[in-house]
Amino acid sequence: MKQVLMNILEVFQIELRRVFHDKMVILIFFIATLLYPLIFCGIYYNENVEQLPIAVVDEACCEASKRFVHKLDATPELQVAYRCMNMGEAERLMRRRDVHAIFYFPRDFSSLLATEHTAHIGVFCDMSSFYFYKAALLGGNNVLIDEMHTIQLERLERDGISGRQAIEQMQPVTYDNITAYNPSGGYGSFFLPALMVLVMHQTLFLGICILAGAANEHRRSLVLIPPHLRNRSFRHVTVGRALAYLTLYTPITLVDLWFIPRWFHLPQLGNLYNIMVFALPFLLAVIFFAMTIGNIFVRRKITPMLCFVFFSVILFFLSGMVWPHCAMPRFWQAFAFVFPSTPAMQGMVKITSMGAELHEVRFEYLVLWVQAGFYFITATFSLWFIKRYKLYNAMNSLKI
Amino acid sequence: MGMWIHIMRVAQREVRRTMSHPRYLLLLAASVVFTFVFFATVTRDGQPQRLPIGIVDLDNSYLSRRICHELNATPGVCVEAVYTNHTEARRAMQRGVIFAFYEIPHGTYNEVLQFHGPHFSMYVNSAYILAGTLSYKQLATMGMLATGAVQREVLRKKGYDEEHIMGIIQPVTYDTHNINNPWINYGVYLMTTLLPAIIAFLALLHMAYVVAIERGDRTLRRWIRKAGGNVYSAMLGKMLPYTLWYTLLVVAVNFVMFTFLHFPLQGSWGYIVLASFLLIFAAQSAALLIAACLPDAPLTMGVTTIYGAMSFSLSGFSFPVESMPLFFQAFSWLYPIRHYFLIYTKVGIYGQGFDTIWPQVAALVAFGLLAMVGSVVLQRQYKDNRWYTEEVLAI
Repeated sequence: MKQVLMNILEVFQIELRRVFHDKMVILIFFIATLLYPLIFCGIYYNENVEQLPIAVVDEACCEASKRFVHKLDATPELQVAYRCMNMGEAERLMRRRDVHAIFYFPRDFSSLLATEHTAHIGVFCDMSSFYFYKAALLGGNNVLIDEMHTIQLERLERDGISGRQAIEQMQPVTYDNITAYNPSGGYGSFFLPALMVLVMHQTLFLGICILAGAANEHRRSLVLIPPHLRNRSFRHVTVGRALAYLTLYTPITLVDLWFIPRWFHLPQLGNLYNIMVFALPFLLAVIFFAMTIGNIFVRRKITPMLCFVFFSVILFFLSGMVWPHCAMPRFWQAFAFVFPSTPAMQGMVKITSMGAELHEVRFEYLVLWVQAGFYFITATFSLWFIKRYKLYNAMNSLKI
Repeated sequence: MGMWIHIMRVAQREVRRTMSHPRYLLLLAASVVFTFVFFATVTRDGQPQRLPIGIVDLDNSYLSRRICHELNATPGVCVEAVYTNHTEARRAMQRGVIFAFYEIPHGTYNEVLQFHGPHFSMYVNSAYILAGTLSYKQLATMGMLATGAVQREVLRKKGYDEEHIMGIIQPVTYDTHNINNPWINYGVYLMTTLLPAIIAFLALLHMAYVVAIERGDRTLRRWIRKAGGNVYSAMLGKMLPYTLWYTLLVVAVNFVMFTFLHFPLQGSWGYIVLASFLLIFAAQSAALLIAACLPDAPLTMGVTTIYGAMSFSLSGFSFPVESMPLFFQAFSWLYPIRHYFLIYTKVGIYGQGFDTIWPQVAALVAFGLLAMVGSVVLQRQYKDNRWYTEEVLAI
């Protein structure tokens, strides 16, 4: 037992030394994990599209249309930047990206209102971004509902229905909208909690692959296995290395998932205990996953950067944060659970943004432990396999 | 003339070097195909369909059951479960089982009959922004329709004619024209920019990589000698094969999107091809500058990755750059994909020509200056004979 601990401790020390002697790994482990969260918090600091410039073409020029335009201008989402004489002018502004929506009041607007018909307002949205569309729709709809009520009351009053009766007629059913967990619908509050987890996943994964590549590059594939351990259990090597990474990433977890979200006022309903307890299987799963890939597939130090980084985009999408899992094809739903990032992002967002307790993220938590266990076996087995069949160089033709 | 010969010679050497280990080129091309298939299959419906929602039915009446049926009949959402109390539904929302729920309070049906204005509550989980927004939209539409139905019934009983009823229920309405994406297809937003962005990112990394390994293998002098000692020819020769290859990839991806998936393309194909070429050229130029300035291969790759990985956010296709803090608005200019995105919106969505896209084209061409600066840096290192001793030692 004592020998086991000594072995693990030795591998642990070797691994720490390797991390701190590698500029590239330091850059990824310590600088990228700090820099990315800070930069992305800066990028999405404004959360929402506010004061979206719009153009108004008012051919009706009546009291109602003017009141409507004033109300549009007063919404936080929209700002009437241009009042145009005709549609041609407004379209030119839109094409130059000076405005992102056009509100068009046709000539018959006032006469239709006067004759108690339905009046139409043309809305032209710039669809180059989902958020332009959303802001135009949200601001426009709020004004529309408000204006509808004003006109409805006027019309009912004209018919002799007034007071409480008119209000009840206008709103026979009332609604409360409660937007939970991200009340402003902000992009930052949605994107950043998940991004923190992804940044940790990707940096840890890359760093470990680079270390594996560095060992293979010097034709010292066995650096992964210290000489006197070669004929012993590979489990000790795997555990020792994993402990080294775990030690390094514990403070990073604290900064990325606890301090930075606090500084930037991101949703933070979870408590520290839940976050750290949830992070443990996540880190272990990523470590063993990366060790498996690193042992088997990586031959050179700088190639993981070339081949794995772009996958971040796909991992984010696979997590179901943007496109819900239930709307994905079955194959991708299953494929998503190959990667520890999927359950980790889902679980962590539930803990931090939605204040879920550990028993409410039981599924994700268990999946992470299963992944950690499975990849621990594959990581150990890959070392044994390479050693047993002397595949240090033989498999190079398959590696990257 | 001599310069062209040198460029071609370096390009030939580069092709030979790449083809001796074609795995990276193939792997990266396979990645592009994989990414394309992934996004095309995931977003095949345009918008997520049948999002699970819940209902807390405290009323248990004919009306509440009808609401449940009608919600289930809309294509956007499906009723996952009917809960008996609020806590249960909230827990389900927290677990991510449902994205939104309706709460129908006790005695709703009675209130409708007595004309007392019942009160519903709608809870939406907006931590998942797309799913939350879409399910909210469905629920809100449902609410509007229900209100309208009740209003119409009452007005009919009061003896109003149909035309007059519509005038009261809906005195003003919007005719919405979503320019060139009337289906609000999410795939169009995503793929038209994200795929070129990924290819440009790979081109950036690949360019940094091929220069970095020359440094790592200590063959920088051999490379520049091949170009007759002219660093500019050496740079251009090295870029050329990858420029062609990655431009071809972007054009191919665009071709599939605009031709087979029928994504909107109002303007001319020529501008898209031009933009694709310039996008790759600009990304490579940025990579050359980084690779020329940094002293070793690992650092080059690390810095290039850190720079490049932000391109997806700063292109502005998801969250608009115009709403970012001023500093990041300026920062986004350092990313070729930002200019490409602007060209695409102008050409693809509004069918504009060169008269509106020229600032972006000029910006992308200006990225060439970065490669020039990189060349100057490399030239100085070459003249200083800084690598000479290293190479002799290496041999």
